[in-house]
Amino acid sequence: MTDGRDRVGLAWRPELAAAILTHLDRVDVVEVIADDYADAGSRGLRPLRTLAAQVPVMLHGVGLGLASTIDVDTRRLEAIARVVDTVRPEAWSEHLAFVRAGGHEIGHLAAPPRTGATRDGTARNVERARRIVGAAPLLENVATLIDPPGSDVDEPSFIRDTVTAARTGLVLDLHNLHANAVNFGFDAADTLPRLPLDRVGAVHLAGGRWIGRLLDDHRHDVPDAVFVLLEALAERAPRPLTVIIERDGNFPPFASLLAEVARAREAIARGRARAASVAA
Amino acid sequence: MSSPGFEAFLARLYVDEAARRRFLDDPRGVARAAGLDEAEVDALARIDRAGLELAARSFAAKRASLTAAKARR
Repeated sequence: MTDGRDRVGLAWRPELAAAILTHLDRVDVVEVIADDYADAGSRGLRPLRTLAAQVPVMLHGVGLGLASTIDVDTRRLEAIARVVDTVRPEAWSEHLAFVRAGGHEIGHLAAPPRTGATRDGTARNVERARRIVGAAPLLENVATLIDPPGSDVDEPSFIRDTVTAARTGLVLDLHNLHANAVNFGFDAADTLPRLPLDRVGAVHLAGGRWIGRLLDDHRHDVPDAVFVLLEALAERAPRPLTVIIERDGNFPPFASLLAEVARAREAIARGRARAASVAA
Repeated sequence: MSSPGFEAFLARLYVDEAARRRFLDDPRGVARAAGLDEAEVDALARIDRAGLELAARSFAAKRASLTAAKARR
């Protein structure tokens, strides 16, 4: 529960675990990769249960491939259900991506064709997830290096229509939005009002690097532009925000991550203050 | 548009370098040979070629890092 306040936390990674646990006064929430525990037995899940007793936990999936016209694998959903049932997270989430098709494992999150068929397939898959796991996943917008072939609507329309059709919430990844804006020449800030901000259940921040286009690699600091987007989001978002900073590698000193947490809090505070001054 | 067959075709383009080379040499011919409909063939003929190469390289790197991580466990 957010207790009606905005919160900022970190993605839980083994390399950061000890530092996070000793700084829980500054980390409001952690996000754990559910797939890392999909094969764990009850003994393997015990540390996660202990973690969830100390700090609010959100679970994040990366391997279901829900944004697809292909039915999601029931066994994978059952594995996620075991983790969710044991950990009892505040929420769980997956991506608006496909990760396999026709026997080919892509190995990462591929942006699907943005079409009505993908929207409807995603809604079916989310419904199956809701039935098997017991709760629907929030759905996260993804970064892409390729303009998804076969698309007939733009990204904001696809996100809005799919999250609405699936009757669930949105994980709004602001670095993914920023990367796509850079790569495909649109203004990310102008896009915010077209997204279902009343459905935002979590926000992700991360960094990336230039490889001819902007790659969202979670191995670099959160860029200034993403904090600017967070401030703009906080000005518009009607619900409390739960922000997760994702760092997957090339780990800096933990103080740098805490500085990013503090910077996120400041950006949210500025956005909320601006909204309040406009309302007054 | 978008179908299981179209997704499977894209997934193969993303992971199979030889298939990607054949496709880029003759997008319409290869897409038709895969049984895709004309709207799907048209979409693939307009594919973002630079993005396809970057995405395929990025996916390959990710698969390699996942394989390495599994080997370390």
